[in-house]
Amino acid sequence: MSVSEIVFQAGNATNGSGAANATNASAAGGGQTFPEILSGLLGLGPNPDPGLQFLFAVVGATLIAVLFLTIAAVGGIWGKRKITAAFTDRIAVNRVGPFGLLIIVADAVRLLSKEVIIPDSVDRPAFDIAPMVLPFSALLGFAVIPLGSGLQLADPETGFVFVFAASSLASLGLLMSGYSSNNKYSFLGGLRALAQNLAYEIPLVVTGASVVLFTGTLKLSEVVAVQSQPLLTLGGLTIPSWFAFVNPFAFVLFLIANLAEVGRNPFDTPEAPGELVAGYMTEYSGAYFVLLYLGEFLHIFLGGAIIATLFLGGPAGPVLPGLVWMVIKILAVYLFTQWMRSAMPRVRIDQMIEIGWKGLLVMSFANLVLTAILVGVIA
Amino acid sequence: MNEWIAVGALAFVAIAVPLSLLGVSFLLRPSVPEQGKTAVYESGEVPTGNTRIRFNIQYYMVALLFLVFDIETVLIFPWTVIYRDAVQSAGLAAALVPMLIFIGVLVVGLAWAWRNGAVQWIHSQNSNSTTRQ
Repeated sequence: MSVSEIVFQAGNATNGSGAANATNASAAGGGQTFPEILSGLLGLGPNPDPGLQFLFAVVGATLIAVLFLTIAAVGGIWGKRKITAAFTDRIAVNRVGPFGLLIIVADAVRLLSKEVIIPDSVDRPAFDIAPMVLPFSALLGFAVIPLGSGLQLADPETGFVFVFAASSLASLGLLMSGYSSNNKYSFLGGLRALAQNLAYEIPLVVTGASVVLFTGTLKLSEVVAVQSQPLLTLGGLTIPSWFAFVNPFAFVLFLIANLAEVGRNPFDTPEAPGELVAGYMTEYSGAYFVLLYLGEFLHIFLGGAIIATLFLGGPAGPVLPGLVWMVIKILAVYLFTQWMRSAMPRVRIDQMIEIGWKGLLVMSFANLVLTAILVGVIA
Repeated sequence: MNEWIAVGALAFVAIAVPLSLLGVSFLLRPSVPEQGKTAVYESGEVPTGNTRIRFNIQYYMVALLFLVFDIETVLIFPWTVIYRDAVQSAGLAAALVPMLIFIGVLVVGLAWAWRNGAVQWIHSQNSNSTTRQ
């Protein structure tokens, strides 16, 4: 299986990009990146000049941004209400358009046409930059995720590290928004958000590292390719070796740490409505609030994309094209966060820190060591 | 094809998206300057005091602890990448034991921080289990 696949991929690479100078990246990896495909389609070869490369990449980046802004609009404005309503046995929005879907347009116009109120004695540059940092860091993470159907913007050797580095830039935005607002609720919320992000970043990354033990590479297209091999066959049904099946303990740890990282119940202490008003968002209004809200949802989707890539076989799936499967997996993780939001009580800040440092951290190291022994014995 | 040009392109778009949203909002939104609404929100009361104050050291302790473990994860990554090859060429013990010692040292550090109450948020007067410096 794996040998035929490699041969197939090698054949693909030489077909697509011409025999002359097929780059190592496209020959060795799981496929071509989006700018390469675009350049190949236009007959410019695998290596056009940097200006054109940037242009092609901007086209791909715009596609990704539009895709996830759409998902955020549907999931964040409409889906969130419908899901919460379903859990609490209500109907939610159903007046405007079919299933109330046009509420998305109405809400977007409403939110963008609100006045932006700048409170007294806020720390001005930080107060304005913070709402931009959050969506920026979430979108940047999508650069290296293989979204399927050829929609992968870049595939660097260090993709795995890059995606975590990009998503943890958000901590900076949280601290800036919390501190600059000059509001006690914001300040507490910002510090809590930061403490939480720091505490759960380590279990997240260490658990991710236990996946790398299996793959032996940080390149995300290869992480996905490794998972396409069959694990076992049950009654004619071939189960692929997704790491959620290979290492379910790591999968559960990663899901929990990711819940904390995106600040959803039971770990929504940074916002804690009813306790801290809206946490670090308290003083933001109008377009700034939209950006913070958007950044939060993009982070949930980025978390879902990371989980799908590392544990759920990335864009792999039967019948439907890869991109659709990727979106389904991302939305499944989103549904999970919303389910937790409806079903779980919030933990206290001290409990949260203790769960992070005394529970998840220790378990993630145990997982790493056990996985290392397991891989070492099998290899 | 340079990978980082593509990443830079996404960074460019990721800055352009919030800026364009702010631009659209700038065209749409009203501006009604009025004194009362610029007060910071404190549940409707008149705000008291400033927020830039000395604050609980707990958050600083957590950040300090994070720094140690964050650098550690950076050092673990190269090991995870070469681990399978290393086991095949040098054997299980040679590939695994040094990393176990490395993680062991950090676990001792965590145990020390744990004992000193760095990751314990509240300290009850009634409990006499830990000593807080």
